[in-house]
Amino acid sequence: MIASGGLSLYRRVTGLVAAVMAVTGIGLGVVAASYARGAADDAYDRLMVAAALQIAESVYTQDGRLLADPPFSAFETLALAPDDRVFYAVAGPDGAVLTGYDDLPGAVRVDPAGAGSAVGNGTFRGVPVRVAAARRYIPDAATPGWVRVALAQTNEARGALARDLTVKALALLAVMMLLGFLAALVAVRLALAPLARVERTMCERDPKDLAPLAIETPREIGALVGAINGFTTRLSRHQAVLQRFVAEASHQIRTPLAALSSQVEMLAWSETGTGPEAEERRARLTRIRARTRELARLTNQLLDHAMVSHRIESVPFSPVDLSELGRQVLRDAASSAVGSLSAPPDLDLAFEGPEAPVMVLGDAISLREALGNLVGNALKHGARARLEIAVRDLGGVGEIAVIDDGPGIPPEDRERVTRPFEGGPGRGERGEGAQKGAGLGLSIASDVVAAHGGRLAFVTLADGRFAVTLTIPAAAAPARAA
Amino acid sequence: MSASARLALLVLALLLGTGAARAIETHRFPAPGSAAVTLSLHAATDIAAMRPLIEDFQATRPDVAIVYTEYVTAELFERMRVACEGAGGVDLVLSSSVDQLLKLVNDGCAEKLGLATTGLPRWTRWRDELFGFTFEPAVIVYNRDAVRPEDVRRTRAELIDLLRADPERYAGRIGTYDVTSSGIGYLFSAYDARAGAVFGRVMEALGRARVVLSCCTTDILDALAAGRLAIGYNLLGSYAVAAVRAGAPLRVVIPRDYTLVLSRAIFVPKRAPHAEAARAFVAYLLSARGQARARETSFAFGFDGNTVPEADGPALPPASAILRPIEISPELLAIQDRAKRARLLGDWRSAVGAPVDAGAR
Amino acid sequence: MRILVVEDTTEVAESIVEGFRRIGHNVDWAQDGLTAEEILATQIYDLVVLDLNLPGRDGPALLKDYRGRGGTSPVLVLTARGAVDDRVRVLDLGADDYLVKPFDFRELEARARALLRRSAGEATNALVCGDVAIDRQARSVSVAGHPVEMTRRELMLLEILAARPGRVFSKDELLDRLFGLDESPSFNAVEQYVARVRRKLGASEVQIRTLRGLGYQLNPGQPNPGQPKPL
Repeated sequence: MIASGGLSLYRRVTGLVAAVMAVTGIGLGVVAASYARGAADDAYDRLMVAAALQIAESVYTQDGRLLADPPFSAFETLALAPDDRVFYAVAGPDGAVLTGYDDLPGAVRVDPAGAGSAVGNGTFRGVPVRVAAARRYIPDAATPGWVRVALAQTNEARGALARDLTVKALALLAVMMLLGFLAALVAVRLALAPLARVERTMCERDPKDLAPLAIETPREIGALVGAINGFTTRLSRHQAVLQRFVAEASHQIRTPLAALSSQVEMLAWSETGTGPEAEERRARLTRIRARTRELARLTNQLLDHAMVSHRIESVPFSPVDLSELGRQVLRDAASSAVGSLSAPPDLDLAFEGPEAPVMVLGDAISLREALGNLVGNALKHGARARLEIAVRDLGGVGEIAVIDDGPGIPPEDRERVTRPFEGGPGRGERGEGAQKGAGLGLSIASDVVAAHGGRLAFVTLADGRFAVTLTIPAAAAPARAA
Repeated sequence: MSASARLALLVLALLLGTGAARAIETHRFPAPGSAAVTLSLHAATDIAAMRPLIEDFQATRPDVAIVYTEYVTAELFERMRVACEGAGGVDLVLSSSVDQLLKLVNDGCAEKLGLATTGLPRWTRWRDELFGFTFEPAVIVYNRDAVRPEDVRRTRAELIDLLRADPERYAGRIGTYDVTSSGIGYLFSAYDARAGAVFGRVMEALGRARVVLSCCTTDILDALAAGRLAIGYNLLGSYAVAAVRAGAPLRVVIPRDYTLVLSRAIFVPKRAPHAEAARAFVAYLLSARGQARARETSFAFGFDGNTVPEADGPALPPASAILRPIEISPELLAIQDRAKRARLLGDWRSAVGAPVDAGAR
Repeated sequence: MRILVVEDTTEVAESIVEGFRRIGHNVDWAQDGLTAEEILATQIYDLVVLDLNLPGRDGPALLKDYRGRGGTSPVLVLTARGAVDDRVRVLDLGADDYLVKPFDFRELEARARALLRRSAGEATNALVCGDVAIDRQARSVSVAGHPVEMTRRELMLLEILAARPGRVFSKDELLDRLFGLDESPSFNAVEQYVARVRRKLGASEVQIRTLRGLGYQLNPGQPNPGQPKPL
């Protein structure tokens, strides 16, 4: 049982790829956002530090007094973040604010000691700000010491830059992920292509072809093909074993049965005594002989049935000319009929068919057996003076009919007689109970035709003759010759 | 009413200076329709210049009444510093001292308006909070009678040469702002100083010619019109053109070496009681209709930089090489820096020498 | 008539030998293939009853060799194999008829009788079929002892049909054998010759039958009344 309701392999793999890509994408997005934030900070921090240093540079002394003159350029630099508010303060060594926002140095704590400048985050007047600080030593002041510059700027421009960078990175990421996903789809399809090839090969081959698959496959599905081949090999071996067994069994049954019936015959011949006892023995012998004959015939038909059934399931079909088949069967019948016990003397045999071959797809030997059975039946039970095989090309189907001038099979029995062991006394009886197994012949023919996708039918012709017709699908157009 | 009387009135009305004596005045503009909101507009711009704009705005918003309170710039600045600390009840703040406005906005005084996509140049707005709406070049003004046409100079270097060639001819007849008392004067001189070394020589030449210093544009234009002064330096072009239109015998020259351009600005304070109507007023000032109305009535120049018949000078398109806009940006914080101001004023004083009040003559 | 029975199963062989002897035939029995081969190399029989499964030498091989060497005696094959294709193969190898074991003895007798009637006197130049005797050397024919005049081609046709009584010869096959490559007989030449031969055989028990669509067949007719009745 194949669980075909499961998710398709393709969908499963692409789903997995999509999931992995989604997780990766989210992760990369977070990283990109953080990186963009860092890059924006870095860019604007440089500007702020530059501005702070410029302001620190502008501090000078005049008459020992410390003076500041924040240059335009410092503010121009800061104005590169066009819409951000700017706060600054310049504080002398004593902590007194020389200019700018008096409350700024107390509000932010970024210590420029050491490097000469530093950046950090803070809050000023309730607004989150980035803070840059710079210091400069003034040696010629009244009290020499460090001048400190604190510079604070709101985060709008750097936020916008970070957002812009993030959006661009995400867009790029999305495009790449999409391309990657599409590539993955293609790759998965390509990877699964060999499976489709195996499937196609399996579908296209003749169901009876049990040879190993001979197609190039990647290593990964080699095991699958190997398993299929292993299975078909086992099946094929199993079939061969079964076939040998049937043949062997057939032989094993036939030989002793032949010996038995031979001995019974001899016994009957040698019983020549007279008197009541001898009469009684003879009567018993006659019954034994009849039973033995019946057993022999039945065995033959059963084995035939088995062999034919087995054969049509395992032999590949090939084009067969129905006309040629019909002639052959009729010639065999003509030869046999000459000496046959059951054939009426002076039987008129005839073949009717077109000059051109009537090609059907099938197993010639099984068909010959089936037809032979029909002819045999007709000879034994039907034909009085005439037996004909007629072939017709019906376009798409070939028809072969065995026609005799006998009584035929009554319509009510027709369906039944094609079933094994129900041949029954439907037809004109000749000889003792010989018709018991006649149905097996029809049954075999019916099975063979069914295996060919065809049909067996009984027809009473306009002139009163009786026909058994076999219709079989025509061989495919030669154009499709593989 | 005589032409000179009208001029006097107009110049008085257009007064922008930081004269400490100027008192607060209040003007009411009742709503043409049924009043729904009353906007409180605090301005350091004369009511006469703004009236046509206010009335035109009310034509589009009949439900708005406006109370116009007029200050001198310094007072407005101080008033607003206080107002920003708490609830000031102010809906609009308007001034030509854009450095002061920028300082207020930088300190968190203003509301964002969502008007960042107007047609005006980028330098006229900051943070979507502070919007410049006028285009006002700084010009040199000559009295037609006192200055021979061949003496009219169109660059600062030429002006210096004129003054050097004949120092006595214009001695005591050149006027400019007293930057210690005029916000506009300080702003212009600071940007002149930034623009290049030539300004130092201008100051020196003015000082040698015993420049007459004045607190206010009105006073200088008045003296020029009356012939007491021959040349006025760095005056607001829009006022000068208004004076010419009012009949004063003045020649307005836009300097050809470089031209400073100021944009009068406005913002809506945080916690403004009628923010929506206030925003609508700002939007009106920035709109094509508001701009056209302003050029017709009060502020002759437009952002396209096209020439004005009353002014002698080149067009100032946005790409012009000589255009030096006073950008509404954090740069103005440098102007507002107290240490820088102290140094600039010191430099100015030492170059110009002792101030002389034109009005005192 | 001389009959050779080649059969390794004693019980079967016994009854066949007994059965044929009872109806007056002279029967030899070979129990294995090698023996049969030796006997057939030197003796001529009117009928060979051959079992396919034999020790020593296999039946099909034996049959093939026999036909290969030119042996013409009718061969009736007995087989226990019964696979469908085996039967076809046996006929193709040169057997004249076959029976599958176990067989009905009456059927065996009937088939044997038919084959015996086809039997031609191989040793002599006489070809006898029913009451028709053909002397190949003298090129003469007699029916029930009475000579019948026949042309060369009529005799040739009768000879072809009588050599394999019961076999169906197609019209094309007869045409090929009666006429040389350089002759161009008319389309119905065969029918004409068959009609003449038929007429000349007259009241003979031997008949030439027409099988429509297939060809012609010589039917040896009913057994002579003088022969022993089968059981």
